[in-house]
Amino acid sequence: MLLKPEKMKILKKTIGDGRILLCVALVFANAGLFIFSPRTKSKSEAEKIPANAAIFDNPLALVLGPQTGENRTDREISQLQQRIRDGRNVELWLDRLGWAFVAKARESFDPGFYKLAEQCARVIEMRNPQSQEATLLRAHVFQNLHRFKESEMLARRLVQQRGLSFEYGLLGDALMEQGKLNDAVEAYQRMMNLKPDLRAYARAAHMRWLKGDLAGAIEAMQLAVSAASPSDAESAAWVNTRLAFYEFQAGHVDEAEQRCAFALSIQKDYAPTLLLKGKMLLAQSRFREAADALQDAAKLNPVPEYQWTLAEALRGDGCEDEASGIEARLRKHGASSDPRTMALFLATRNESPSTALRLARTELGSRSDVFTHDALAWSLAAAGNLAEAQKEMQRALAEGTEDARLFFHAGVIASQSGHTADAERWLHKASELSQLLLPSERDELQNAAACSAETKAFQPTKPFSLGTDTARKTQPQTKT
Amino acid sequence: MKKITYLLSRGVIALLAAHLIGAAQASSHMDAPLITLDPAANTTDVYAFVQNENGTKSLVTALGVYPFEEPGIGPNKYNFDDNVLYQIHVATGNDVAAGTATLSYEFKFNTTFRNQNTILQSYLGVINDVGDANQNLIQTYTVTKVDHRQGNHRTVLGTGTVPPNNQGIATPFYNQGNDGNNPAKDGVATESELDRYTTETIKNLGGGYFSFAGQRDDGFYGDINAIFDLLQLRSPGKDSQAGFNIHLMALVIPLTELGGDQQIVGVYATTSRRQITILRDETGRRPVRCGDPQLLGPWVQVARQGNPLFNEGLVAIADKDRYSRTSPESDNDLFRRYAVTPELARLINQIIFNGQLPDVETDRTDIAGIFIPDLIKVDLSTDRCRLAGNGTQQGANPDDPGFSRLGTFGGDTLVSQIQPGFGNGVIPGGWPNGRRFGDDVVDIAVTALISNLRVNPPIIRGPAGDGVDFNDVAYNKVFPYESTPQNGRNHSHP
Repeated sequence: MLLKPEKMKILKKTIGDGRILLCVALVFANAGLFIFSPRTKSKSEAEKIPANAAIFDNPLALVLGPQTGENRTDREISQLQQRIRDGRNVELWLDRLGWAFVAKARESFDPGFYKLAEQCARVIEMRNPQSQEATLLRAHVFQNLHRFKESEMLARRLVQQRGLSFEYGLLGDALMEQGKLNDAVEAYQRMMNLKPDLRAYARAAHMRWLKGDLAGAIEAMQLAVSAASPSDAESAAWVNTRLAFYEFQAGHVDEAEQRCAFALSIQKDYAPTLLLKGKMLLAQSRFREAADALQDAAKLNPVPEYQWTLAEALRGDGCEDEASGIEARLRKHGASSDPRTMALFLATRNESPSTALRLARTELGSRSDVFTHDALAWSLAAAGNLAEAQKEMQRALAEGTEDARLFFHAGVIASQSGHTADAERWLHKASELSQLLLPSERDELQNAAACSAETKAFQPTKPFSLGTDTARKTQPQTKT
Repeated sequence: MKKITYLLSRGVIALLAAHLIGAAQASSHMDAPLITLDPAANTTDVYAFVQNENGTKSLVTALGVYPFEEPGIGPNKYNFDDNVLYQIHVATGNDVAAGTATLSYEFKFNTTFRNQNTILQSYLGVINDVGDANQNLIQTYTVTKVDHRQGNHRTVLGTGTVPPNNQGIATPFYNQGNDGNNPAKDGVATESELDRYTTETIKNLGGGYFSFAGQRDDGFYGDINAIFDLLQLRSPGKDSQAGFNIHLMALVIPLTELGGDQQIVGVYATTSRRQITILRDETGRRPVRCGDPQLLGPWVQVARQGNPLFNEGLVAIADKDRYSRTSPESDNDLFRRYAVTPELARLINQIIFNGQLPDVETDRTDIAGIFIPDLIKVDLSTDRCRLAGNGTQQGANPDDPGFSRLGTFGGDTLVSQIQPGFGNGVIPGGWPNGRRFGDDVVDIAVTALISNLRVNPPIIRGPAGDGVDFNDVAYNKVFPYESTPQNGRNHSHP
């Protein structure tokens, strides 16, 4: 039983940006309104779906819906759907289909595919409530939908029941996002001990980076890159991009650029690589080239981090109207797709501090890692609550993460709080990594550093802000 | 429902005694769920058989990795992984029954680039000779012998170079007419006929050792898709591995190193990766370079392979990763039940024979005798085994007279000097006495599973099979035996 393709097309057209998540939401909301066309496969799963059934009541119909796209993953999805319709070994193929949707979500940055994967798990559980495969799939989906507590609960059940290395990795991921780094390290080590591979090495690299060990992160990510396979281009592109980022942070620009080029040769138009490439070009004030790369990246993955960076590039290139347009869209949709980055964006520009604070606090409810603490600290500071901002900032810095934005925020908050020595120290550390900051943040950092040099600290009462006039502070390049 | 085609062969019955080393299902191309995510370390097949070169017998061993390697993929190529430890293990004497390695042969790779400032990762132009200026990516390897009888004493046997992958225009000499547009060359009967790249990279390590490491065609053949699609076999079957390559490490071991030819040895292989600690302590934080052994933890075994099809066809999903992590020493405790009560035999009986063969489902001590411990057992006392070439009717490089893909089921036998076998020392000419390139391990395994080899005379049902009776590229009858790698520019999958 399938949603008619033309209906899906109309649905997408109506929504405006064909992202499947919204389609799924609408399908759910209007479950009774759509008509399904029965297939004629005898004795197949498809036949068991009653005509005119609502998709909401029949997740199988949802996961068997037609998919557009013609890449390898799309073809795999279509093949798996057909196997399920054929009605043999359905549980196995549903599990495979679920993971194919996960792969598609990673490739396309469309979280709607995670919802489809979740529906696969749901169908399997309807047939076999004890299915560990379904639990694993569901836990992975929850993790990617930022439902970390639920993911942790399922992952703990899995490691207790059978303890595969991948399950320890999933548990570590859920713990890490909740800021429980020591427990996450333990879970990752179990994963590594059971099976060292790309996934284990990449997690070790990220954990080392979080703990401020950049050289160790590079070492581990090199092992991950070595373990990457042409059969899994997205994973290979991902680990190469992360290694490029580490090299960029270490000041090895040539190596970072080569890594990015290689990642893009493996996975053409890979959004995370394009984003990093754009950021590296921004660091060199090559605004036009940066904007080109970031346009592509933001088109593929229109979330706040990408749009914010793109707006900075466009503004640097003198395209103020375009930059403002991007920011307007960001204000309109950003809170729903990435509240944490939206909070940072608003706080950085001193816009709607109360909204920024609300978003950051909400995020902290589910995700309490160092970056959410930083977003909350920055929002608190923007709202004028420096005492709480100081406390949150200490939490953000507690793990020793070497991150330019953390240091920049810590320096400004310390300065505003009258902690001169701390301000100087954090601003200095931020300056050492200033290539990682956005142009407007770099400008403000320079201002702050200059101010610090003159007065040995900021005036406690001086309002910090990259503010609404940031655009004026950032020197636009003349377009030729 | 399409049934397995089988033909009863009375001649075969006489050859099958209860101690016949039997079989199982599909080779290890899609085995443990976790290792399939790590193809560089994912073993495909292990081979082991007796050859005789210029009057000197030796043991040929080989290990394949990278299942379903698509020829010609780029820019990120399939290459041996510098951070994987590839090992071929040989058990002798009492170690065979114990499942313990007596000697281990390690392959360790090192990758370099002539020019890193290019997107042309592997080829800068047409490669005329291995290692010439147009070969950008250079892999070399070191073979080390570890003697477990002497406190794991390590001896470096030598180093070799990996030939380029068969891309097409860039690597014309792999292909027919030395033209990169043509399909890969067929198998040959003599060393002088081998393609240039292979010839240039067969390494004489001295002392009777020869090695080769590089891309080859995947010589395994079988309708794996149909077997794992609820045994819905078809006629003709489709070779699931057709058109795909693997990466192969092959090593000729002189029998003097193993204690002579009056014995049965066991062969298996493993791959391992380095464990690292998630966090380095403060003292460990210093400038690092990738692969610095001082900064890396112990090797952790991530894959294991002995007889074809055991982990994939007999071991349950829940235990597949455990199999990958463990040694044959623990097979009797952990995995014997999968051989004694093979689920696949039950499925075949129920799905294909409507339950009419209950004797094949339980108490399969004959099957356990082959797989437990999971080593390929090779009787070294025989003459050299017969080799597969281009088939029986091909003039240029025919199969050796008497060669049968079905081994003993096809009347292809050898004579042992050290065991009675089926009588007068007659033993199988191919798997499960060793494993040759060209052995139809799927058909042999299915036939053994549906037969009852524990009674005298044994009840043979078959030979049965999957409808795939030959590889898509012919084998070489000279080292490294495995067929020429498929051309990235000109190959096809059925």
